[in-house]
Amino acid sequence: MIPQAAELPWFAALPVALLLLGGAGLTLIGSIGLLRLRSFYERVHAPTLATSYGMGCILIASMIFFSVLQTRLVIHEVVIGAFIVLTTPVTLMLVARAALHRDRLEKNATVPPSINQPAT
Amino acid sequence: MQDAFYLLAAVLLPYAGALITALLPANARTVAWLAGGTALLTLLMVVLGYSDIAAGRIPRVALPWAPELGLSFTLRMDGFAATFAVMASGIGFLVVLYSRYYMSPDDPIPRFFSFLLAFMGSMMGLVLSANLIQLVFFWELTSLFSFLLIGYWQNLAAARDGARMALTVTAGGGLALFAGVLVLGHIVGSYELDAVLAAGNLVRAHPLYLPALVLILLGAMTKSAQFPFHFWLPHAMAAPTPVSAYLHSATLVKAGIFLLARLWPVLAGTDAWFWILCPVGLITLLVGAYVAIFQHDMKALLAYSTISHLGLITLLLSLNSDLAMVAAVFHIINHATFKASLFMAAGIIDHETGTRDIRRLSGLNQSMPFTARLALVAAGAMAGVPLLNGFISKEMFFTEALTAATTPTLLHSILPIAATLASILAVTYSLRFIHGAFFGPETDDLPKKPHEPPQFMRVPVEILVFACMVVGILPSATVGPLLDLAARSILGDATPEYSLAVWHGFNLPLVMSLIALAGGVALYRLLYRHLNAGIDGTPLLERLDGRRAFDQVMVFISWRFARALERLMATDRLQMQLRLLVCIAFLAATLALLPHGLAPGGVQLTPVDPVVALMWVVGGACAIAAAYQAKYHRLAALVMLGGAGLVTCLTFVWFSAPDLALTQLLVEIVTTVLMLLGLRWMPKRIESAGSGHILARLRRLRDLAIAAAAGLGLTAISYATMTRVSPDGISRQFLERAYTEGGGTNVVNVILVDFRGFDTMGEITVLGIVALTVFALLRRFRPAAESVGMPEQQQGEARDWLLIPAVTMRLIFPVIIAVSLYLLLRGHDQPGGGFIAGLMLAIGILLQYMAGGTRWVEDHLRVLPLRWMGFGLLLAAGTGAAAIAFGKPFLTSYFAYADLGPLGKLPLASAVIFDLGVFALVFGATVLMLIALAHQSVRRPRAAPPPPVAALPEPAAAAAGEN
Repeated sequence: MIPQAAELPWFAALPVALLLLGGAGLTLIGSIGLLRLRSFYERVHAPTLATSYGMGCILIASMIFFSVLQTRLVIHEVVIGAFIVLTTPVTLMLVARAALHRDRLEKNATVPPSINQPAT
Repeated sequence: MQDAFYLLAAVLLPYAGALITALLPANARTVAWLAGGTALLTLLMVVLGYSDIAAGRIPRVALPWAPELGLSFTLRMDGFAATFAVMASGIGFLVVLYSRYYMSPDDPIPRFFSFLLAFMGSMMGLVLSANLIQLVFFWELTSLFSFLLIGYWQNLAAARDGARMALTVTAGGGLALFAGVLVLGHIVGSYELDAVLAAGNLVRAHPLYLPALVLILLGAMTKSAQFPFHFWLPHAMAAPTPVSAYLHSATLVKAGIFLLARLWPVLAGTDAWFWILCPVGLITLLVGAYVAIFQHDMKALLAYSTISHLGLITLLLSLNSDLAMVAAVFHIINHATFKASLFMAAGIIDHETGTRDIRRLSGLNQSMPFTARLALVAAGAMAGVPLLNGFISKEMFFTEALTAATTPTLLHSILPIAATLASILAVTYSLRFIHGAFFGPETDDLPKKPHEPPQFMRVPVEILVFACMVVGILPSATVGPLLDLAARSILGDATPEYSLAVWHGFNLPLVMSLIALAGGVALYRLLYRHLNAGIDGTPLLERLDGRRAFDQVMVFISWRFARALERLMATDRLQMQLRLLVCIAFLAATLALLPHGLAPGGVQLTPVDPVVALMWVVGGACAIAAAYQAKYHRLAALVMLGGAGLVTCLTFVWFSAPDLALTQLLVEIVTTVLMLLGLRWMPKRIESAGSGHILARLRRLRDLAIAAAAGLGLTAISYATMTRVSPDGISRQFLERAYTEGGGTNVVNVILVDFRGFDTMGEITVLGIVALTVFALLRRFRPAAESVGMPEQQQGEARDWLLIPAVTMRLIFPVIIAVSLYLLLRGHDQPGGGFIAGLMLAIGILLQYMAGGTRWVEDHLRVLPLRWMGFGLLLAAGTGAAAIAFGKPFLTSYFAYADLGPLGKLPLASAVIFDLGVFALVFGATVLMLIALAHQSVRRPRAAPPPPVAALPEPAAAAAGEN
């Protein structure tokens, strides 16, 4: 897609390729996990694989790629990383608490026990 | 040049006065002097212009308005127009002087004088118009301002009803007049009065003559309260008496007569003219006079007598005789003087005694002798007593009736008898007015102790009564020249010889006058017992109730007919309305495309990128899933909708439209959140047992088919459009000139704030209106009872489950503000701009509302969205208008580079300030809608009002009606 990509020297191309593949692989595993895991509370954990290490690898790959190509330091990606680190846990916490709340209200069998009070 | 000034000033001065008066504080007593001064100045302007007419010239002024449509603002004053202009401004001045003493200090005086002056301006515009369309415009303005004046005491039901009735009848007639004028203009080929007046023969021979005549007569008859449209005038008596003296003697009701006389050279002279107008005039003359006798309210008596006199003038105009025309003009002047003074006298009596009921009044000759003399003379003029002005025009009327009777038709031959009969009735009601109020034993059964009014309140009556007497004794020396000019300006060289003498020898008209006087006195003696018995209603004519007929028509049109139409054609089901809208749009598009077909164009297509293809598949899936889930799982549908929106946004990025992508993203966020907030108030939908039924399934299939057809159709049209080479428009120009002429490298933004700045101006105005509308709709909205309680998701122990998100949202608030300002400032050169920045800031506020709740946010942060909107709109308009100060067209932008020394150069364009306005308005509008929605949650539904109880005591029922 970017024609200059072919001009990337091997010492840069190798880590970029490895990091990209690694990140994409982690994200894929996370997605499969989201699909395969059974209960909601288990499923909550799967996508974090993509938003933590998976996204991290891809962002580092992007930084190396553009820094080498443009022969200057390109680190916009840090901001992306920062926002994802900020938003993902918050969102997941919200979703998980909502689920917990609902399960407790409906008195479902699979509710994890409360920390404060032992499960009855 | 001077003529132009006089004419323009005569029309514009009253309006200017009205504007200033309206802005004065409510308790200012100086407004009367201001209003009086304005009226006097207007009269002066007319008199100054009059000297020209006397010299044989017609002053005129023409200002181009929409010359390509043949429309210009033209004024012209000939003798006839001058007569009316003198009446409108002169009697207007007297009425202002009178109202200064009549109106109570508790009334909102500035409003009264403001309406009165505006009405005067409209009347001046009406009589001085030299263009028929313009005449109709002022005609409707007089209807409007008379509505406001009649309904001045808006707390009285009678005033409101009377005002509404007057407006409905006269403005409805105005519409007929407008249609008639259009037909007339079509026949002649011009709307200029001069051209129309010169084309009389052409008009009368044209096949469209009859429709034009009927429509114009409808307008004139409604305005001048001719039978069967006379019923509004008595009800308009709910107005303050000065208004009645002005509107219902000299001006408003004379407008119809004015029009008839004005168009007399064009429309008159045919059998149709006579056979429509003569019966109408005759019936109005007789019925008005007959009903007037039996009125107990002095003003109602005068109102019916006005109707009768208007019928007399109409009858004179209908006779197709030049001499009758002269008599009509003369009677217009005479009637204005004596009727205005009589109304004022009735007002004085009302003011000083507290009642206008003739049955209660008696012997006022003792307590207010001076007013009694004045009223006596004016009533004598109304009755046609010799040596007063009414006598002379009545003599002329008798002469004309006798002349007309030589034509051998039944209607013609009964005219002299009818004229005598009407005069007998006129003498009777004049006697009733005078004798009932001023003579007889003195009574102390009155709300107030009667005494003479303040001196200046009497002055207007004195002047008018003096005019009655002078004209009656020395007609040709006083009113002669004015009448001559007026008649000459209608009849031209065909003006007949007439004599304005008091004594014509002992002839038949004089005999008729004597019969009328004697008969009137005799009739009054005969009816005396009946009248004093205090019976309401008119003998023989009880069933003639125009008001009831009017009410029935109104109820039919505005209630039964509307309801029937609604039942037949409307539905309050949103689904049905949407279905119809989509189907009709689809059909319309199909019809438009049928002749041409819809084939793809010949542009070379780029190969499909797999990434984009994948993205679009996801987006499409989201959209379909949203539609699928929309019925029972609204939240899921909303999430899916967001997904589809995100794909749209990414598509914009892919095709290098960062501005669009940013806007789309922010709009998506705002819509999703606002819809989420709205979902809270929708009742839960429960999948019922019957939803799997075959009919329900068929219904859903039909909806699917409609949706698919509309969607595919739009796709096909878009595809066919996009595969064609776009015509060489101005987009290239934009690209080339954005930097050189707009001073910015972001072409989208330069187009928005500079090249197409006027469009943006309009768009933000519309956005502001939409926000205000949403706010107005939601302001009084109370959620449905079943969705008020805490939703099940929020029940239980869940107080702090938003704690962490809330902290994050609060922390990020300053960041959002900073980014928003950054986007705003860089907008001219890089993606961003006022619209995007405004949305961004609104999202910041939105997050706070979500995190902290309505009460918390409004305790800590006061956003005043209305001020933001106002500020934004003013700033945008102000920036645009500033260009005018530099001699450039509206919204021309200016740009320069500010040298900041070591910091480099800062591009400064005036468009940035415009953009700031856009920013403020978008922010304000979005937040306003948000607040409107958010406030639902702090509101509780009101208890339903108690059902109305049938038999409440009187005051309580009135109070309940007010609420």
